[in-house]
Amino acid sequence: MANWNSMAPYMRRYSIRILLFMTSYVVILTASLTFARSGAAHGQATRIGLALITAFPVIGVFWAIFRLLVETDDEYQRFLFAKQTLFATAFTLVIVTVWQFLQVYDVVATGPQWMGVIWFAMLGLAGPIARWKA
Amino acid sequence: MKNRLKVLRAERDWSQQDLADALGVSRQSVNAIETGKYDPSLPLAFRIADLFDLTIEAIFVRD
Repeated sequence: MANWNSMAPYMRRYSIRILLFMTSYVVILTASLTFARSGAAHGQATRIGLALITAFPVIGVFWAIFRLLVETDDEYQRFLFAKQTLFATAFTLVIVTVWQFLQVYDVVATGPQWMGVIWFAMLGLAGPIARWKA
Repeated sequence: MKNRLKVLRAERDWSQQDLADALGVSRQSVNAIETGKYDPSLPLAFRIADLFDLTIEAIFVRD
């Protein structure tokens, strides 16, 4: 793991933001699911509210990633990050497109879901590919 | 695009990290420019030229 002090300032800010949003996600998701499944009947507005609150930290992670692209003052590193996000987007679109047609032809019951999670997983996969021989 | 960065750096006995620190970029970035994997933007090329007290065309040459 990279030493905190030797890390570029933009990378430190990114790490802090990701840590905050991921911690918030775990706390909010656990609390919201516990509340939603507590047995009491919840109205539509409450359920919409829970969905939005749970989505907020995930949206925050997207924001943190795009702030990283803006704040990276090392142009070659910015180029590599941009390449990584484009690869992640392309891989996600491939998966979602295939999944969608599997649903169209009744191979699977449900169409594409959890696309944010798929994109994050693809971002992780795209990292070493974008930096291959870099 | 070819460049003379490695030679210029060796003449001053600078490591890639020394050059990276002077330019405010990562060592990986210096290596990518030096090996021709990445062509720097004009602002970065000017910073490199200023650091070596040379013109851009004295450092970077056409293929």
